[in-house]
Amino acid sequence: MATAKRSDTSAIETSDGAIPYDEMLTLAGEVRSHYTGLDERIATLASADMAERQRTLERFFLLQGITFTVYGAESSTERIIPTDLLPRIIPAEEWATIEKGLTQRLRALNMFLADIYGEQQILMDGVVPRELVLMAPSYRREMQNLYVPHQAYANVCGSDLIRQPDGAFAVLEDNLRVPSGVSYMLANREASKRTFPGTFRASNVRAIDRYPDLLLSTLKGMAADWRPNPQVVVLTPGVYNSAYYEHAYLARLMGCPLVEGRDLVVHDNMVYMRTTTGLRRIDVIYRRVDDDFIDPLTFRRDSGLGVAGLFNAYRAGNVVICNAPGTGVADDKAVYAYVPEIIKYYLGEEAILPNIETFLCREPAQLSHVLSNLDKLVVKAVGASGGYGMLIGPHASAKERSEFADALRADPANYIAQPTIQLSTAPCLIDGEIDPRHVDLRPFILSGEKITVTPGALTRVALKKGSLVVNSSQGGGSKDTWILAGETEEPQP
Amino acid sequence: MMLARVADSLYWMGRYVERAEHMCRLSDVMLNATLDRSDAATQVARIVLAAVGDNDSGKARSPYDAARSLALDRGDGGSITASLSRARENARQVRDQITTETWERLNLIYLRVTGPGAAKAFDDGSSAFLHDIIADLHLFRGAADATMSHGEGWRFLMLGMYLERAQLNGRLLEVFFGDARKRPITDHFALTSLLRMSCALEPYLRRYTADVRPELILEFLMFDEDFPRSIRFSTARIEEHLSAASRYVDAAHAGPERLAGRLKARLQYADVENIELGGAGALLTTVLDECAAIHTAIYDTFVAYSLEMRLPA
Repeated sequence: MATAKRSDTSAIETSDGAIPYDEMLTLAGEVRSHYTGLDERIATLASADMAERQRTLERFFLLQGITFTVYGAESSTERIIPTDLLPRIIPAEEWATIEKGLTQRLRALNMFLADIYGEQQILMDGVVPRELVLMAPSYRREMQNLYVPHQAYANVCGSDLIRQPDGAFAVLEDNLRVPSGVSYMLANREASKRTFPGTFRASNVRAIDRYPDLLLSTLKGMAADWRPNPQVVVLTPGVYNSAYYEHAYLARLMGCPLVEGRDLVVHDNMVYMRTTTGLRRIDVIYRRVDDDFIDPLTFRRDSGLGVAGLFNAYRAGNVVICNAPGTGVADDKAVYAYVPEIIKYYLGEEAILPNIETFLCREPAQLSHVLSNLDKLVVKAVGASGGYGMLIGPHASAKERSEFADALRADPANYIAQPTIQLSTAPCLIDGEIDPRHVDLRPFILSGEKITVTPGALTRVALKKGSLVVNSSQGGGSKDTWILAGETEEPQP
Repeated sequence: MMLARVADSLYWMGRYVERAEHMCRLSDVMLNATLDRSDAATQVARIVLAAVGDNDSGKARSPYDAARSLALDRGDGGSITASLSRARENARQVRDQITTETWERLNLIYLRVTGPGAAKAFDDGSSAFLHDIIADLHLFRGAADATMSHGEGWRFLMLGMYLERAQLNGRLLEVFFGDARKRPITDHFALTSLLRMSCALEPYLRRYTADVRPELILEFLMFDEDFPRSIRFSTARIEEHLSAASRYVDAAHAGPERLAGRLKARLQYADVENIELGGAGALLTTVLDECAAIHTAIYDTFVAYSLEMRLPA
């Protein structure tokens, strides 16, 4: 029986000739030292065995109900998010940089939010253009001068990092609103422990199973000053939301009630949930509902997902909403371009993790540069996310580019552009063969009294060969990410 | 303390699981009867259809088609597939409240009966298909019993199961014995079929030997203290779980507990020796009415209470 072998082309050629960084292989084709254990294990496994393990893994996900629903006319079917068998491995020293960089970034972003919803010093000093912030749709004037404990606005953040051809990590975007994916990080870990137990044990991988625990103490810490043992709940839009599994998963692992808007009542600026024994007061809401939908009285009137009066209760200081409303202004794609300046402004430090070069189409000079280089750039709508509303210049037809150019000229402030980004590649199991696919990295950062970076991440995979789009809504999958413990650290028990 | 919506979902999860299991037995007995071309077999099929409230359409369809539809038709709200889908949907709503072991069992059954191979599996061997579902539902109950905390949520799950059980078996007995004007059914095949539908054949034989008589069956299925599908047993559990669930609410709201206590006593202290076959109908009607009243009272007390009554002062 043939063993699973690597395909001949170890790297994916790209249009501009740059060879993307391969997570496992050096340019000379040698296996990087932190991948040797996995590589040796794979070499001993037959193709059929790998396929069998892949099936076991998929069955595990299906059985656990880690699925999203595809609705059809007659019936609905449930699919699992494609999960790749082979873990992506990051050595300790690389992780140390990521951890430091993200901690720095989140400190600065929380300070930025506290500032723009307070004195607005950074706007007065002209570091970030005033209209850029105040005109952003994600800016919430309702948040102005509102007390947020520890100035922790973005309690849960999932930043998307990519590795550039030179091997350095850069931040592609920050997700400060309601980032998701942490349940896949945890579920992928469960799965890869089952698939490669020996390799896992020998690799000294850092544990991530404390995440729910840390999340709960971060959330409790947001109300600890005024409530000795705060009641925390997870607010979900409901069972039809594509991330419902994650909401239920986190609620279960934190031991908190999973509530929907219809379970909540606001009375006298206090928030209660309807229980079998009457109404019970709530202190902290970890909401997985977008700003727009949390309170029909304050935000969108047609929302049935939130609860009327919630924002007033928040204003009155009787409940904490996590993440705070209005954090989206700090992950706005245009504000993103200023994050290195923001870090320098508040912390007096250079950004440890660089940004991707970004052109703001609102600036006439940059717009004309973008328009004349549309075939080389990725253009994104500022407000959109999830891989929607974007143009990947090198892959688009001339017609698509000219249509997009018209949209750009009509509303330049709504767009930014970035060079085509060379995501690194990692070995994946595709139809029984090991083949490289582009990946990104989403670590999760908790901000409360202090900032904690979980030593793990969701690695998203563009499963289509050569594709750079990793979003699950666009045919992306995910894989487990092993962060190795360094020499100096105690081995995991 | 738990969310009212969660209690509601657990309660319905229990009801739908119980309904699915009951429907499995009914269709199995009916399919078994179709193998036989006797009058008694036709009678059994008619009784089953009456018990599931399907009096009219039974005429148009053969018993086999009726049983098949009872098993697989998702459009039929009372079918096994529909009941399991709803049980699983309720479980998904409270995924954070039930253990992974419990969830996995139910999810597995659901994936199998709604999967592409279900219709073929049924046609290849309906008896094995139905038997497997019942066996898996027993695993589900076992997983729930062995892994979930027997706290408030558990009580609501059990309440749903036993209320559904009392109502389904009550309805079945009503079809058999409810109408005093009809001649009592004495046919041996029909009577053992009734015992099979209640999963009672073996326990009955152990208690009364092979002396299969309608008045003894009625006595067993209604008043036996230990048989888990008798009406008396079910009402005793309803009372037990309701009083446990009511421990958490103020005495002022303990309406359903009182109703359940009365129903339990009605069966516990019934004058069994003197109940004639012809008089069973009235008692069954009372049992079914009171089960419906308990259902309403549970809603009024725990789930859909008016907010004005419960707002903090």
